[in-house]
Amino acid sequence: MKAFELIQPTSLDAALEALPGARDTKARDRVKILAGGQDLLGELKEHLIEPQTLVNLKSIPGLDQIEHRDDGSLRLGALVTLARIEEDRALRERFALLAEAAGAVASVQIRNAGTLGGNLCQRPRCWYYRHEQAVCIKKGGSECFAYGGLNKYNAILGGGPSYIVHPSDVAPALVALEAQAVIRGKRGERQVALEQFFTLPSEGSVLRENVLTSEEILTHVIVPAQSDAPWRSTYIKFRERGSYDFALSAVALRLSMDGDKVRDARLVLGGVAPIPWRCEKAEKAMVGRKLDAQTAEFVGKLALEGAEPLEHNAYKILLTQGLITKALRKLAN
Amino acid sequence: MSLDPRPLVLQEEQPPRPAAPGKKWVKSVRVQNGIDTEVWEEVDIDSGSDGPTWGAREDLRLLNHDLRRIDGPEKVTGRAVFTHDVRLPGMVYAQVLRCPHPWAKIVRIDLAPAQGTPGVLAAVVLEGEEVKWLGRPIVAVAADTPEHAEDGVRAVVVEYDVQRFAVTSEQSQAPDAPKIAGNRDNVRVHETDGELAAAEAALAECDAVVEGTWRVPVQHHACLETHGVVVDYRGGDSATVYASTQGTFTVNNDAARELDLKGAQVTAVVEHMGGGFGGKFGLGLEGDAACKLSKQLGRPVHLLFDRASEFLAAGNRAGGVHVLQAGAKKTGELHAFVARVERHGGVGPGSNQRQPYIYRPAVSYAQVKSVLTNTDSSRAMRAPGHPQMSFAMEGLMDDLAYAIGMDPLEFRVRNVPPDRRADYERQLRLCADLIGWNSHPHRTAPDRSEGELKVGIGFALATWGGGGRPECKVEVRLLPDGSVEVYSGTQDLGTGTRTYVAAIVAEEFGLDLAQVTPHIGRSTYGAANASGGSTTTASLAPAVKHAAWNARKQLFEHVSTLIGVKPENLRCVGGRIQDVNDPDSNWIGFKDACAAVGGKGISAQGEWQRNLASSGVGGAQAAKVRVDTLTGEIEVLHMVGVQDCGLVMNRMATRSQLNGGMIQALSYGLFEERVIDPDLGLVLNANFEDYKIAGCKEIGLVQAVLDDGDNRRGVIGMAEPAVVPGQSAIANAIMNACGARLREMPLTSDKLLMALRGAKRG
Repeated sequence: MKAFELIQPTSLDAALEALPGARDTKARDRVKILAGGQDLLGELKEHLIEPQTLVNLKSIPGLDQIEHRDDGSLRLGALVTLARIEEDRALRERFALLAEAAGAVASVQIRNAGTLGGNLCQRPRCWYYRHEQAVCIKKGGSECFAYGGLNKYNAILGGGPSYIVHPSDVAPALVALEAQAVIRGKRGERQVALEQFFTLPSEGSVLRENVLTSEEILTHVIVPAQSDAPWRSTYIKFRERGSYDFALSAVALRLSMDGDKVRDARLVLGGVAPIPWRCEKAEKAMVGRKLDAQTAEFVGKLALEGAEPLEHNAYKILLTQGLITKALRKLAN
Repeated sequence: MSLDPRPLVLQEEQPPRPAAPGKKWVKSVRVQNGIDTEVWEEVDIDSGSDGPTWGAREDLRLLNHDLRRIDGPEKVTGRAVFTHDVRLPGMVYAQVLRCPHPWAKIVRIDLAPAQGTPGVLAAVVLEGEEVKWLGRPIVAVAADTPEHAEDGVRAVVVEYDVQRFAVTSEQSQAPDAPKIAGNRDNVRVHETDGELAAAEAALAECDAVVEGTWRVPVQHHACLETHGVVVDYRGGDSATVYASTQGTFTVNNDAARELDLKGAQVTAVVEHMGGGFGGKFGLGLEGDAACKLSKQLGRPVHLLFDRASEFLAAGNRAGGVHVLQAGAKKTGELHAFVARVERHGGVGPGSNQRQPYIYRPAVSYAQVKSVLTNTDSSRAMRAPGHPQMSFAMEGLMDDLAYAIGMDPLEFRVRNVPPDRRADYERQLRLCADLIGWNSHPHRTAPDRSEGELKVGIGFALATWGGGGRPECKVEVRLLPDGSVEVYSGTQDLGTGTRTYVAAIVAEEFGLDLAQVTPHIGRSTYGAANASGGSTTTASLAPAVKHAAWNARKQLFEHVSTLIGVKPENLRCVGGRIQDVNDPDSNWIGFKDACAAVGGKGISAQGEWQRNLASSGVGGAQAAKVRVDTLTGEIEVLHMVGVQDCGLVMNRMATRSQLNGGMIQALSYGLFEERVIDPDLGLVLNANFEDYKIAGCKEIGLVQAVLDDGDNRRGVIGMAEPAVVPGQSAIANAIMNACGARLREMPLTSDKLLMALRGAKRG
């Protein structure tokens, strides 16, 4: 990797100070934020980015707290490691979906170092993007090589002009839990629904995957108290290689129930779109239905409506429908 | 006087029957019910008297037992020094600039920017003309740190004239394809066996005919320790080369040439090495570069591949396409066979992928072609060609068996070569017992019923040579303090060479394993063959045995005069040397005997002994898988491998080889594949994230069983057959589970899902 200056601020204000202004678009790549480093180090070693400065958030105290608040909500610092989310007993009991998703990330070693904020802000894994020589549209080029290339792992939903998939496991889980992102910038703090945090390549800049500007830091994630009615949730991730891998497809499902019928549902897919893919039509259609095989088939069809597979990834439709069936069955029992 | 004075019992006065032709009866001592018992044993007439023999298996105390590796603690605690770990005073680090294009002419190379980079000490051009594969080294740069070397490499300016390329077999065979090897065609026919017309006529006589196109991708060796060397030449008339290599003696002469020294002036050192699998012979282009840099700087140079380079430029297992057509009679005879095979060996021709593999059709025709591409040449890899042939042939065998409604196991037994039927049948039936085939409900047709989770079982066979050669020279030294040292230049690929070298000698002298110290991995010791073709043990073990036997003979001559017993009446037992006829009164401790020899000690040489090695092994494996028809998930629940290999040196290490072979085959079958974008020509998965290898969660129960039905007395290598059949058995198990025949590796969930959907539509 190229040599860089490491700044170790001890406060968020000092960290923000080190970031370039939002309008200084060229400076965007000169300064990068470091948390667990599990993605950033790879980008540096592969020379996908060559920043002059890294701002290390780990030197800032207090960003690694898990707070179970009295109102039933959960406030997570951006530096909480994935391993702690996976293992926190109260969190496991109250937000199974999130703990399952954190536990499904990569390997034990990566979960021990990787952080919540880093996981949400990680860059795509597409092998064209990750190849220094392939100057694709995500790296300032003009073409998405995956579109007409080897696209087995790419998007079937929401693609174009880039066909990456968002690699995060915790993102679909948090969107299903209606989480909020807390963002600090030079001009103060803002809060956005995590669902709005992620951007499609066709909406925002194709060079980014979220709404963060270069002068902002994701500091916390707030998971609101869930429904008063009995609710249940699960995260099912399908990996080509179980030992450690990104999702070929994943299903985050949260349901609240009226007896054996669905009162309210939230269904978000991972690994199939450039953002955590919410299936609102399928969610609405589930309301009032029992969790049986017919519902699963129906929901599977609606959830994948509009899917446009590329040459090598039509299997993702079948796979995702299979995972939806499994998720519904799991929550029915 | 601590030896238990149990009586020696002679069970029978006379041999039980006349000796068979070429055999004779000898009395030998065995332990029966805890009592030393003399029994009659029928042996070959030419064995026994004038040279070493392994003796009866029952008499072996260390060999053919489970032995813990003597270098295990060193390895697991990180004390073992691999080539990567070598650090020498004044050492510099080198990195290599590799061609980023599949085919390019080099217009200009400017080293000046690299030479001006902080820390950079030297830069040399390795190739200045033309490069025909991505990854070929062009420039090497040495610097004070690895990071500065990388900066230097990135600073080199190369102007390329990029050429049109062919990285896939399809591109290479297109009418307007660029010719990769001068004016020669990209496609070459290597061999044609049999008459096509006759084979086609025979197909017409069959009760069932099946056909298919099997595709195998390029696999990488994926060694944990990447290729590389540390060259230590500081001027003068000697140099040392530390190498991660499969052949100690394949390195020093190449290095001598680069350094303008004589072969004997260069010492190659291979203390420990982290995997080779066939890809690590010789010094290589990068090793040459390290020599050049060391000579230029007069300092040790550390040049080890980074992980991406290991994928791009360290060789691979050739891919291939096998188009097969075959027919069987209802009786179970494999009657007719037609094969058209393509080998994909990059800029090289690829290795042996002959068909039919193992099984013997009555009439057959096969043509093998190689298709050149602008990719790194294939190299030898654990059983070159065999896993590819196996995947296609074993799949075809199951398809045919099901087509005539026969149990695939019985169909195999029916069609293996008659002279090997007994061994294969024994191995297959043991696999079947252990994996639960006999109670499996779908033995003559795949389970095509509806259902989400389905279990299937498949089988496949292996074949290999594994014999030894007269290439090793071994020395055994006995020192006056009683220490026993063994010297051989051979290398340990991680298979446990040190342990059996020590065990053979300890066995000979009646000592504990820990009392013998093996010294290997240095070209100043006795010559040894490179580790290829599973020939190491069958070449080395006999020479070690011979050296130990010679040393013992010399020792007995000394002892004979000391205790007044003829040498032929002496034997080594439990750390002492005793009179076979009067063990209680006439004996001397091993250490005292060595001391009595005097200051010069004993030094004995050993060479390969034909009677101590054998060759030719088979082996059978079975796999049980569970497939999830909703997701396409393929879970290998259980694998069984039954392997023959003559006399086993270390049962634990041999089972480890079999385990490792099965796991490597599982990984090959389920995950491994080099991916190249055909338009960009770039390798997209030169890393351990996207080049997937099996991890612990992918490996189910792996059961390694040594075939003790093989009672041959010689030593045979078995590392290669272990890796041959696993992926084929898994593919057959998938077919058996759900009726989906996957003919393209890796056998991934997306392919299974699409195949199942296709099957439903059909």
